[in-house]
Amino acid sequence: MTDVHVLGIRHHGPGSARSVAEALASLRPNLVLVEGPPELDAVLPLAGEVGMSPPVAALIYASDEPRLASFYPVADFSPEWVAIRWALSTGTPVRAIDLPAAHSLALHIDGGPAAAPPSPPSSTSPPPSSTEEPSGAEPSSDPSQSGSPPEVPVAEAPDGDTRPKRPYRPDAIGMLAQAAGYSDAERWWEDAVEHRDAGPADRFEAITDAIAEIRAVDDRPADHPDVVENVRREAAMRRLLRAAIREGHGRIVVVCGAYHAPALVPANFPPAAADNKVLAGLPKTKVSATWVPWTSGRLSLQSGYGAGVTAPGWYQHLFAHWTTRGSTADVASTWLVRVAQTLRREKLDASTASVVEASRMADALAAVRGRPSPGLAELDDAAQAVLCEGSPLPMKLVHRELTVGHQLGSVPESAPTVPLAADLAAAQSRLRLKPSALEEVIAIDLRKPNQLARSVLLHRLALLGIHWGTPTETGRTTGTFKEAWTLSWEPELAVAVVEASRYGTTVASAAATFVAERAQDADSLTDLSELLADCLLADLPDGISSVVKVLAERTALQQDVPPLLESIAPLARTCRYGNVRGVDVTEVRRILDAAVVRASVGLPTACSGLDDDAAAVMRRAVDSAQHGLSLLPELSLEDWHRALAAVAGSDRIHGSVAGRATRLLLDAGLLDRDDVASRLSRSLSVATPAPQAAAWLDGFLSGDAVLLIHDRRLLQIVDDWVAGVDDEVFEDVLPLLRRTFSVFSRPERREIGEQLSRGTAPAQRPGDTSSLDIAAAGPAIRAMARYLGWEASA
Amino acid sequence: MTDAQSSSANILRAHAEDAYADELQALAAVDDRPRPPSWRLSPWAVATYVLGGTLPDGTQITPKYLGSARLVEMAVATLATDRALLLLGVPGTAKTWLGEHLAAAISGISTLVVQGTAGTPEEALRYGWNYARLLADGPSRAALVAGPVMRAMETGSLVRVEELTRIPSDVQDSLITILSEKTLPIPELNEEVQARKGFNVIATANNRDKGVNDLSSALRRRFNTVVLPLPDSLDQEVEIVATRVRSLGTALELPADLAALSEIRRVVTVMRELRSGVTQDKRTTLKSPTATLSTAEAISVMTNGLSLATHFGDGTVRAEDVAAGLVGAVVKDPVQDQVVWQEYLETVVRNRPDWKDLYRACRDLESSN
Repeated sequence: MTDVHVLGIRHHGPGSARSVAEALASLRPNLVLVEGPPELDAVLPLAGEVGMSPPVAALIYASDEPRLASFYPVADFSPEWVAIRWALSTGTPVRAIDLPAAHSLALHIDGGPAAAPPSPPSSTSPPPSSTEEPSGAEPSSDPSQSGSPPEVPVAEAPDGDTRPKRPYRPDAIGMLAQAAGYSDAERWWEDAVEHRDAGPADRFEAITDAIAEIRAVDDRPADHPDVVENVRREAAMRRLLRAAIREGHGRIVVVCGAYHAPALVPANFPPAAADNKVLAGLPKTKVSATWVPWTSGRLSLQSGYGAGVTAPGWYQHLFAHWTTRGSTADVASTWLVRVAQTLRREKLDASTASVVEASRMADALAAVRGRPSPGLAELDDAAQAVLCEGSPLPMKLVHRELTVGHQLGSVPESAPTVPLAADLAAAQSRLRLKPSALEEVIAIDLRKPNQLARSVLLHRLALLGIHWGTPTETGRTTGTFKEAWTLSWEPELAVAVVEASRYGTTVASAAATFVAERAQDADSLTDLSELLADCLLADLPDGISSVVKVLAERTALQQDVPPLLESIAPLARTCRYGNVRGVDVTEVRRILDAAVVRASVGLPTACSGLDDDAAAVMRRAVDSAQHGLSLLPELSLEDWHRALAAVAGSDRIHGSVAGRATRLLLDAGLLDRDDVASRLSRSLSVATPAPQAAAWLDGFLSGDAVLLIHDRRLLQIVDDWVAGVDDEVFEDVLPLLRRTFSVFSRPERREIGEQLSRGTAPAQRPGDTSSLDIAAAGPAIRAMARYLGWEASA
Repeated sequence: MTDAQSSSANILRAHAEDAYADELQALAAVDDRPRPPSWRLSPWAVATYVLGGTLPDGTQITPKYLGSARLVEMAVATLATDRALLLLGVPGTAKTWLGEHLAAAISGISTLVVQGTAGTPEEALRYGWNYARLLADGPSRAALVAGPVMRAMETGSLVRVEELTRIPSDVQDSLITILSEKTLPIPELNEEVQARKGFNVIATANNRDKGVNDLSSALRRRFNTVVLPLPDSLDQEVEIVATRVRSLGTALELPADLAALSEIRRVVTVMRELRSGVTQDKRTTLKSPTATLSTAEAISVMTNGLSLATHFGDGTVRAEDVAAGLVGAVVKDPVQDQVVWQEYLETVVRNRPDWKDLYRACRDLESSN
């Protein structure tokens, strides 16, 4: 008869891990079964390889839809990890038992009502906001979260539930803790189980019995989704366990979450037929498994894939301490020494005497709170009161650096990688860009080939949705040869890589294919233009040609003028810089020419009857088009200017746009000053409603103040208008005016103000001779004329 | 409460150990946990006394400090070690209140107090002399007048030092020997007083005038610091104000009707909004006045209003009863704060439909000035 021992553990509990290690050492089983989908069997042996260093996560994804994925994060102190490592080191066979991921992922594809929509945001879903105040009164005041942290935060769609983990484990531990009078299940487990120095095997039997009691009072209906799910999983576990028993192993150890322990005791097994019935007819999909590196930050609750471990660093400390010294005696003081060291690294005082005091205070606090030994809460409080002078800020630092930590795991090279990931890794080592969990800002000089290649790689990854780097401010330089990126390798990026791998086998080909697909699906011209610009940065000639093809069709069909205008700038940029990067731009140029013509034709009509918002959009579009056109001096702008003149000349067009058009024409030298002055005067005359006049002024003046400073006549007109506006109306136009003038620099505004305060002196324009005293100037003029060689006769 | 009232009927404010003598007694009766040397209660019972609760025999312990249990536990744990306790916080965060109750629960006496001021001499922290005797008999123990600290050392009880940072630095530093070596040397007699077990110091200090006489790091190192925060939520602060006003009202024999909790809520809301510089709905940014506007000030505004309503009104606290107190609490600087208050009045109070009476009351106050 096979001897089956069920070890019900707390996932990621260092105490459970230690007990599991002790139990395995004394039981010496012939087979170890750990909770986890059986698909993991193929990659479990990798856990023993050199180069595998936790935190890591087993990753299972649907081969056809890599976005559907489940992670099984493990740390050094995870009981499952300990069991797997023990088995591998002793040559004992080890397997995973649970509902096959082939079914669980397929269930999400087919979907119950709450199951995954087509695109579960598995790689980017934000954490369900459980941000924890490190110095808060209760490290985790919600028992349902801390009670039974699941080892399997399956990457399913959040179905509106703010705690997506909850359905996976009924909070049995929380109920046990409540029965013991604890508000916080985590603390209970630490006190009652993990801090207990009893024999490991007895401990596990006691837990199994306790959980059985709890399960007996579970009164949820049989069709409750959680119950259905749990029944399936346990049936699957039993089926695999039965098979293992039939193989005739002498002694089997099962390591599973405490909640499942009672269901896996062979004495309580229901008939096999019942389990088979439960598992019959489940949908299936093809899945692949591999290992990915994980971080300690991800293990903590605050992160999207949080494993429910509030303090990975602390658990690591506990586990390391227990495994090396085997006693709980001075766990607290060594931790406080590490806290002090962390503080000292940040140049904060932390004397040895204070550490002694803090450790005493932690003991006293534990006594006040009726706990057998100080836990993390006591240590944090003591450290705050003694080492940080009561201030919570240094404790935040300690929390980040020590309690959570910055560990990044690694997986052996032999772990199955998706081809894209391999290509990416090759590129990373070629370009010497090491993925790191710590945020790092790099500056790239695009003039150097190697650095340009880095930029290209980052742009391609960004296109593929692998947001390893995010562009940042380059700082003071205005040059275009510099780029700055913030690099931070998040573990979910591994999913994004897997997900992107369906587009191609290399970063370049995947990005190009991705761009082509996006271009087909893009629904606005602006999107396409941006895509084009991205292609340019990501050096994807193939991508550009596919985008251009779509763009050519779309511009022809485009009815709306602003998007057309906005597509001009990216197209012009492509023409201007595409040559440099070896892109064939003749096709782009043809589209650009066509776009300019179409936009010019449509502009005057499109500008009539605009409300304020639409006018703002139009003005932005006109400005962007003008900017784009200025990039290509060889372009003929005749149509464009004609269109602008029509806009500027019409009285029915919104002031903001008309004013802008006037200004652009003035800048292009197509209107002379007198003309502009009369237009300004007309726009600001009494008959024009003041808000409209203010809008015109805004459109006309926005940009720089040189015009007003150097043309006193214009300034005079503006001044007179402002002075003449009715009090009530003035309140309405004031914000607009303020906005207009606030973009001017301070010296410019001062200059304008000074000119106005000098009073309404007659305009001193060259050629305006009315106020000159010719008689007084006579001698000077004559002398000047003599110098110039003129014969003076005046 | 009723007992306390009868036993100290003619005293304006009874000491904590007298006012809550019955609770302390009940706690001592059920307390079977280990007590540190000279402690009247175990640390657990002290925490229960401060935080409130129900004892196994059914006795209700009223909460003395409404706030984080964690902070109280930290304070009690500190006193159980040989480190002194420093309660830090802005004015009106119940530092002194908490200190008094801790002393009452642990030592049974809360009257050993040194009030720190800018003029506190070293004698106040150490000992003084009976000069008649000193001149007559020369220096002797009989001519020595023990200060509160010295008496606490001799009896093994807690001594409180209020407003530690107001005390001049050189005087502060005389605490160092007392705290680290637990002795008080008397060089004149070539003697010393050694502290008995149970002696400890509870000091309070103010965040606001931290810069006045900041603690030397040598002294600071001898304190465990617990920062008492202002209440986090409106409801919590309203509850604190209501509890305190009710008990003060009883002590001052002001039988006014406090059922109108809405007035308390309004006062606390005004205080919180001005303090945080933003309205409760986070829509409008406000200027903050120079005053702290702590919970203690809300309590005094309400007590003031209660008194007005009792003696000059119909016993119900209305807007006009609290208006004067409110303006007085907010406007500490007649120029700067006046602007802040006016702005608040015109932009926030005026626009709240159910605050019309408060707005009118505040306006009336101005026009009468």
